[in-house]
Amino acid sequence: MKNYRNFITLLFVLFMGAVYGQQQMQQKIDMRIDSIGNAKIKLSMTMNAQQWQIWQGSLGNNPAALKREVERGMPGYFLDDFKLEKDEMNRSFELSLNAYGACNIDKRGTWIVETDQKNANLTKLTEHKYMLVSSPIESGGTIQQTYTIELPEVATNVKVDTDAYGKSIFKFKMKSPSGGFNLLRLSGLALFVIGGIWTGGKLVSKSKS
Amino acid sequence: MKKLVIPLLVSGLGLLIIGASFLFSAKGSGSLDIDIVKTATLMPAAHNVYANEEALDGKYYLFKAKITNTSKSTLEDVTVRYRIPGYIEWTELDVIGEMFSGQTASVRCYPKFPESIAEKMTESSEKAEIEISWDGASEDDMIEEEFGFRISSRGEYMFTNIPASEIAGWADVYNNDALLACYVTPNDPIVQYYTQNIQEKILMGEAASVTKDPNEAIRFLTGIYNATILSHMVYSGTKGIPESLQDVSKFSQKNRLPREVITGNTGLCLELSLLYASVLSNAGLDPIIFLVPGHAYPGFKLNGQYYAIEATGIGGEGLGKIMSADEAFQTGQKELSEFIKMWQNGDPRYTMVDIHEVNQEGVTPMALKDDAFLRKKVDDIVGSWSAAGTTTLVGNNGTQNTRLVSNTSGGNSSGASSSSGGRALSLAIPQGWQTLMRPAPQIPILTAQASSPDQSMSISVYDVPANNGAEAMNAISSTLYNYGMSVEFQMDGSTVYGNTYSNEGTYTWVAKTLRKNGGIRVVAIGSPDYLFQSNSGTINQLFNSIR
Repeated sequence: MKNYRNFITLLFVLFMGAVYGQQQMQQKIDMRIDSIGNAKIKLSMTMNAQQWQIWQGSLGNNPAALKREVERGMPGYFLDDFKLEKDEMNRSFELSLNAYGACNIDKRGTWIVETDQKNANLTKLTEHKYMLVSSPIESGGTIQQTYTIELPEVATNVKVDTDAYGKSIFKFKMKSPSGGFNLLRLSGLALFVIGGIWTGGKLVSKSKS
Repeated sequence: MKKLVIPLLVSGLGLLIIGASFLFSAKGSGSLDIDIVKTATLMPAAHNVYANEEALDGKYYLFKAKITNTSKSTLEDVTVRYRIPGYIEWTELDVIGEMFSGQTASVRCYPKFPESIAEKMTESSEKAEIEISWDGASEDDMIEEEFGFRISSRGEYMFTNIPASEIAGWADVYNNDALLACYVTPNDPIVQYYTQNIQEKILMGEAASVTKDPNEAIRFLTGIYNATILSHMVYSGTKGIPESLQDVSKFSQKNRLPREVITGNTGLCLELSLLYASVLSNAGLDPIIFLVPGHAYPGFKLNGQYYAIEATGIGGEGLGKIMSADEAFQTGQKELSEFIKMWQNGDPRYTMVDIHEVNQEGVTPMALKDDAFLRKKVDDIVGSWSAAGTTTLVGNNGTQNTRLVSNTSGGNSSGASSSSGGRALSLAIPQGWQTLMRPAPQIPILTAQASSPDQSMSISVYDVPANNGAEAMNAISSTLYNYGMSVEFQMDGSTVYGNTYSNEGTYTWVAKTLRKNGGIRVVAIGSPDYLFQSNSGTINQLFNSIR
């Protein structure tokens, strides 16, 4: 999550100069991680008239520049499938994108998601869903961000830990979605069991006779 | 027994199939797709940034690789290694414990180059090699990729790492602005030495970072400017700051490092800004570099306020326009006012780099070694501040501006270590006048002399170890008496009127005295008595320009 937070902050820095010290803006960021470690991110927010006007002038009417800003804010990741949906009537928008390889996997096969925050105040919503509310220093307290982080359903042993820098991270285990018995192995096992039962049957009947 | 053959065969076949299933899904059988995004040019000055994945949120990598497991099996211990021949040997970049079928991993490379890369003076084309393997992978399975990239020379600064064809706005043009902090070198021993000399010889003590007093900090800022003026530093440009989005030729600039600006005695706006930032940082102040279309200028931040100076005000005699330190500061403040207005309006062309702030984000300068030759050059420059009373002639729109700094060494002409700086006494000198430093070495109190092209008027500057103006004038009279000259004078406050008699005739003059640290400075302007009346207009003008 390290870089998501940064890009979101950056997204609004462009017009912070004009709205600084004014009404606080609320952002909602949903990050859903799938069973192979890719993330689907959705960012949404509603603005007042002045904020909307400034945002439209800087990024809202220039999706290419918006994409560039997001890429600039998340330099380490491979992003695609950008979609921007604006609701002009309600002065709100939703931006969605995919981030590939958003999770790290260490040598022991443990999956890791970073939060980039020391002692992050995480609220556990469900076994796989967490919430974090923060107000970045860079925004001067004018932006309140509410994150929801949804880990894959197949994730097990989910733990909140700290990394070498003392920042909060999620750690969990996942099994391969294609794991378990494959068809060939299942057929072999079936034959082995049938053969075993058959042999057993023959031996029993032989002993009776 | 024969009846058991068939069921046993069935069981055996089952076992074989189970074994085969493990064989076919063995770890070695896998394939990966790799997609590489590389950095086209790497700046040696920023090598510490490229090495630090935490710096600027990992923005500066050598390459990032998108690795996707395209096989149907899970691969274990996927290991990514790389090397850069001549710089970095095979280095393990990442080991991914397991990669599921279809899974994608993003691997970034933050290369740790040897410190010697900071001494690279020429650009070169290099190659990076990448190798990916996993548990059980055969030689044929392993993936090998390579790509070329450029390493620029040490001084080259790229304003952006976005290809020119992709530039869509000023944020793209200034994409690398934080990396300017890599060229700010407060810990360079040569910069430290230069700073110490400014603090000691120009400012005679400085405590801006301790007192947090803006006036003291401004005194330091203008002290740096005075140091550049006194060492005859000149403004000279190669390529400047981009002025428009189409200004592709200016998207990179070969910078002289601050130590090179000091010893080379020349710099353009960005280089001077880097020098100021280095000296300010070394002194414990928070340096800022302001970037505007086509220009850059330095300043600092103190108690939440910004201050700036127009460092290029030094100009150069060849360029004509030269500002005094006060003018340079006033100009800088005016530019800053305009900057703040544009910046608050969200104009992306106006941006600033807070050096210490980006330092904290991992943008650290290169390490530079001490250099005896450069220290000697600094000594020479510092000597020029004090030698000949540190009088400098500079032009100013048709006039020249003499900048005088007191020499309280009591007439020590060796200069290098005995002089001290103080509040300057300036006057405007018409263009074309000839100036001589220490025109008469046998008269050590005569610091400088300037004369008009037709020799009908002259200015003399005396630095006398005396307690007041009268004492100073008496000392001058005594000295000149030894050379066959007789001085008569009348004092009116700090103004002195007088005549000097010699075999060559009578010289009439008017002078002003000013208390300096440990002495008195006397600036006299005069003319032969028979020309004094006709030259009185110019003489009065010159006299009134003394401040």
